Parts: sequence; C-alpha cells; structure tokens
Amino acid sequence: MDWKAFFSGVESSWLSVWVREAPTMLAFPTIIALHAIGMGLLVGANIAMDLRVLGFAPRVPLAVLETLFPVLWFGFWLNAASGVLLLLAYPTKALTNPLFYAKLALIGLALAVTLVIRKRILNKPQLEDTPVSARGKLLAGASLALWAAAISAGRVLAYTYTHLTASDFW
Amino acid sequence: MEPFVESLQIWLTSTPISRVMNDTLWAWPLSESFHFIGLCLLFGIVGLFDLRMMGFLKRLPLGAFHRLIPWGILGYGINVMTGFTFLSGAPDQYIHNPAFHIKMLFMTIAGLNVAVFYWLTYQHIVAVGPGQDAPPRARMAGVVSLVCWTGVIVCGRLLTFYRPPFHWCFWC
Repeated sequence: MDWKAFFSGVESSWLSVWVREAPTMLAFPTIIALHAIGMGLLVGANIAMDLRVLGFAPRVPLAVLETLFPVLWFGFWLNAASGVLLLLAYPTKALTNPLFYAKLALIGLALAVTLVIRKRILNKPQLEDTPVSARGKLLAGASLALWAAAISAGRVLAYTYTHLTASDFW
Repeated sequence: MEPFVESLQIWLTSTPISRVMNDTLWAWPLSESFHFIGLCLLFGIVGLFDLRMMGFLKRLPLGAFHRLIPWGILGYGINVMTGFTFLSGAPDQYIHNPAFHIKMLFMTIAGLNVAVFYWLTYQHIVAVGPGQDAPPRARMAGVVSLVCWTGVIVCGRLLTFYRPPFHWCFWC
C-alpha cells in the first residue's frame, strides 16, 4: 500500500482541511478542548470507581458505582469522536508514531479492566458487605496505572512525531 | 502594573525550576503528563460531586461520596505545582496571554465558591442520602464549580492558540 498517497488523500479531504486549517476557534482548538474534557470525565469516573474498590469512601455501596457509567461512557464517546477528528486532521503525525498505537492499546486494556471490575465486583450483590478481595484491589490499581500511562503516552505524542503531514516524506 | 509584571517575569526566569524546564529534554512533557493526570483527579472527583449536587447520579449518597474529595484536592495540588513549572519555564507565554488571564479568573471564582460552600452549605449536605435532593444552594455551588472547572480546562487548552500579543484582547 502506498502510505504517502493514503495520508495525503486523507489530509486533502474537506473535513481534514477544516479541522486543521479553518481560521475559527470552533475547529482544532474546540476539538482539542473537548478531548481534554472527555478525558477528565472518562478517566475521572474510572478513578472514582477504582478508589472505592480500593477501600476509600467505604460507605458508598459498590453496586451504586454503576451510576457512574453513563458519565464514563459519555467521556469515552466524546473522546472517540474528537479523537477521530484529530486523527483525520493529522493522520501522518499519529500513524507514523509507534507511541500512538501504544496509547490506543493502553486505552483498550484500561477499558477491558474497567469492564472486568464492573462484572466481577460491582455487579455481585452477595459481595456487598465483604471487603474487596486482594485480586479486586489489584485490578483497581492496574486500572489507575493504565489510565496514567495512556494519558502520558497521549501527552508525549506531541513531542515524538517524526512526520507532521504527508508532505514531510521525501 | 508593568514594572511589577516585568520583575515577576525576570524573577520566574531566574528560578532553578525555569532552568530545569528549559534545559532538560523530558521535563516539559513529564510535567504536562502529571498536569493531565491531576486534571482527571480534580475534574473527575469534584465534577462527579458537582453533578450529584445538581441532581444527577442520585443513587450516590452525597456525604459518603464526599470522602473522595481529598483525591480531587490532591489533583488540584499536583496541578498548581506543575502549573508553576510551566509558568516559570516560559513566563512570557502566560503572563501576557488572555487565555491564561481568563483561566486564573475561573480558578479564583472556583476558589471563592469552595470557601462559600464549606462555610455555609457543607453542613446541610452531609446527611443527603441516596435518592434525596441537595438543597438549592448546594445545587448552585455545583453549577458554579462545574462551569468554572470546565472553563479552566478550555482556557488551558486554548493557551497555545492565543500566544501573545493578541489584537482583540482589550486589557492586554
């Protein structure tokens, strides 16, 4: 596959050009601001769940953490949508950087851990009055570490790219 | 005002933190990563608490959930410290930047809101259990807090696009 042709094709599409170059605050700046807010909601709701599983705020019933999931998914979809727009704007920048794939893998792993915690710990009414098992706490700790790593990977993307746009090849 | 701003800028640039931020390859991205993790702690925990006071997530017992607030304060602390590393690393990017000014304004309002909340409102929300409504003044505190912290994040992200000098900024 001719990657350069693919990247320059995406970069010349109207949506890509609009996100990247439109002289309005509603384009790139707004999208990147939404990406930060979505991150705060997605990771923030995850952190609240993890901290409760680790034993903080013990008077909050574990089953009630279910109520955080609409916030968590709202943040997730906000960031999936804004992330796709940012990727359309700079496909070469993201897809030629191995760290971008690491970021996606970390997010995938973190979400998988979240779903395991939801299934094994939050949705088990018979466990409500017993302390969370060491394995459950390990999952919550892993969740916190994975989100911290995903955020750091995302931040470092701005410093480690090798080609900004397709025209940077050759 | 100008001589003060100028001497503040000179002093910030002379601090050891400023040197580390400019001379160490990984200092800036590392500090930014912590700033974003702090953002999630602060906006996540405090934002969920605000939403609960506003009447959302009503299954959460408000007083019991308040026990997580210290983690939001930890996020605030991380972000004040990392924020200072950016400010001393490149003071001219911030001191004259309208997005930074508005961000500080939002932080000030959020701070006053916290003070008023713990002074007048907190004692009325500790006993709010699952399914119960928080009193109207708590609802108001939640709205102000959520709007301010959202504004802080938006302005923080816009900092890079409003590099000074900016023609429309009438107070700059």
